[in-house]
Amino acid sequence: MDKFLTQLPGLVDEIKSLKEIIITNIVLIGQTPAPTFKEKKRSKIFRERLAEFQVDEVTTDGYRNPIGIVRGTDSSKPPIFVLAHLDTFYEGDQTLNYTIKENTITGAGILDNSIGVGVIASLPLIFKKLDLQFESDIVLAGTIQSIGKGNLRGVRHLLKTWPTPIRGGICVEGIELGRLNYYSDGMIRGEIACSISDERNLLKDYTPNAIIILNEVINEIMNLKTSQRPRSRIVIGKMTGGANHGEIAPEANLGFEIRSDSYKIVKKLYGEIRDVVEGMSHENEVDLNIKTISNLRASRLKYNHPLVKHSAAVIEALGIKPVSRPTESALSIFLSHKIPAVTLGITYGENRYFENATMEIEPMYQGIAQIIGVLKAIDSGVCDEQQLA
Amino acid sequence: MNNNWLEENTFHYSDFKDLNRLVEEKAKKNLKISLCLPTLNEEKTIAKEIIILKSELMTRYPLLDEIIVVDSGSTDKTTEIARAYGADVYLATEILPRLEQFKGKGENLWKALYITKGDIIIYLDADIKNIHHRFAYGLLGPLLLNDHIKFVKAFYDRPISIGKNKMRPTGGGRVTELVIRPLFSLFFPDLTQLIQPLSGEYAGFREVFERIPFPIGYGVETSMNMDIYEKWGLEVMAQVDLDRRIHRNQDTKALGRMAFIILKTFINRKIRLGLIDLKDELFDEMIQYNLVNNKYQPDIFKIEGHERPPIIEIPEYREKFKIDQERLHNLQKA
Repeated sequence: MDKFLTQLPGLVDEIKSLKEIIITNIVLIGQTPAPTFKEKKRSKIFRERLAEFQVDEVTTDGYRNPIGIVRGTDSSKPPIFVLAHLDTFYEGDQTLNYTIKENTITGAGILDNSIGVGVIASLPLIFKKLDLQFESDIVLAGTIQSIGKGNLRGVRHLLKTWPTPIRGGICVEGIELGRLNYYSDGMIRGEIACSISDERNLLKDYTPNAIIILNEVINEIMNLKTSQRPRSRIVIGKMTGGANHGEIAPEANLGFEIRSDSYKIVKKLYGEIRDVVEGMSHENEVDLNIKTISNLRASRLKYNHPLVKHSAAVIEALGIKPVSRPTESALSIFLSHKIPAVTLGITYGENRYFENATMEIEPMYQGIAQIIGVLKAIDSGVCDEQQLA
Repeated sequence: MNNNWLEENTFHYSDFKDLNRLVEEKAKKNLKISLCLPTLNEEKTIAKEIIILKSELMTRYPLLDEIIVVDSGSTDKTTEIARAYGADVYLATEILPRLEQFKGKGENLWKALYITKGDIIIYLDADIKNIHHRFAYGLLGPLLLNDHIKFVKAFYDRPISIGKNKMRPTGGGRVTELVIRPLFSLFFPDLTQLIQPLSGEYAGFREVFERIPFPIGYGVETSMNMDIYEKWGLEVMAQVDLDRRIHRNQDTKALGRMAFIILKTFINRKIRLGLIDLKDELFDEMIQYNLVNNKYQPDIFKIEGHERPPIIEIPEYREKFKIDQERLHNLQKA
């Protein structure tokens, strides 16, 4: 493996020699719309591209996650998974148009996660170009229903129903190159909806305002005590409401997220927020409801797990400084199944959640070399040596 | 009117998606194929066209032998970007510099004949936002798989891009429906079977393109249809449904100018063919009006309507492609 690490920087130029094909995959797949729950078109083109690059098997699992399998040389070794979520936060279902400049590609959803999916579709060709063979089967998957209300359903189903043990996993995200996620926080995302019916307003001395009610809810949430250890926090991330400037808002919605490295704390905080909501609803005589959108249990690899150490070595071998933070992605599903896995970023970019999201092209080749390096590490047995903590 | 043509010579790009078959046919017939992208300030779309076509039809399937860009003098980064992604970039003014210089799409297409080496030349507009390699292989298919077809034109369901990532499902082709189709109906009913006679994407054998004149501007597609039809008949022509093409929407005034050029090209062709006789010269100014400070002010667009002769008549071209006088004579006679 050490020898391979020294060879790794030299692979970057070889990967770059396939730039037209890699960029074409990113663009053709990325321009195909895939809002969560409507990933069918993108799934089809992902499978088509994999088939064109002659992977040994192209199929979908029982939940319609598209999958390509590159057969390994040793059928006794469990498969290694490389996956990226197929769906995008961008909700439009019209064809997207990406713009390519000298060193950038711009377009909605490019960073989250057209790059990841396009790169995975390119891996079979890259393996051939680099003359790489693996002992394990490499399962290349684009998972559906990941974001928001999708609540990682695709990857949950994929890993839950896979018929064999899984040797290890790599989750591929568009940005940022250098990220090395190996632990995930416990998390609950929730929504609080306030609605004021016309009928009830007639019986009142004053008309309650849904936005102001939610504002009071926010104030109460801010008063909740979050601990530093176990580390925890509440993020108020989203708010919508009202009809127009001159009318008292009849409806409003609040989106929030609770994170902690202890899922027990997450649940405790959620319970406290629910109490706030119920109290406010009672006091103000309004319809105030709270519901969970998605949730994850906290899980982690130890920092000295061989996969983490080797992944960091791969990233460093490419001259990049690894950065570790918690993530709320498919990684947590791998870890919850006791499958060692990491999340890696491919390149740098900006405006992630906007229509003008832009990726840098040049660092991408290092990002791909990094995936190859980590795949090689898993295939050499780094996940076999130590059980997941 | 040849009523069978529409049925027999209209294809769908998916008829040709077996690219290995096209590669085999190309090799069997020992053909070279060139792709030409005429440009003027296309920095937003040029890279994507080059990358996708190069990836799919050069690297993965060796159908194209070269991708060339002929530029009319872009002031943005079109030429730098095109070079960065590996296209051969030429300034139109640097090709055949001995000749008087003109500026326009037709000029670029005509000069591309001198620069390219292909037996087949594919012309694609450089502003296609949803570029896909079907745009090129769809046009190549009929040429490679049917010996009698020498010229293929694209047609589309043409949504127009009306804003960032928004489209409306139908539209476009206003100049076709309001100008070209009525004219063809009146004078060349056979040609009404071309669903989109003004589409900017077409391909053909060099032996066809080198023997027809090229108007330097927008009229090039109109004249090309008429000249090929007059010279070789409808049977050598075909059209391919390339599905969707997303392009820039043009305002009514711009379309008016386009219509003016096309009408002028059309009428000049009719005169040259001896089919109509005008008592007076045509004017060469399109006059439109703007309301400025509550006053109507004319906005005059001068179109001189220059036209390049068949490039086979240019000595430099004959020298480059080794066409001697005898062969030229035989070709003209044919």
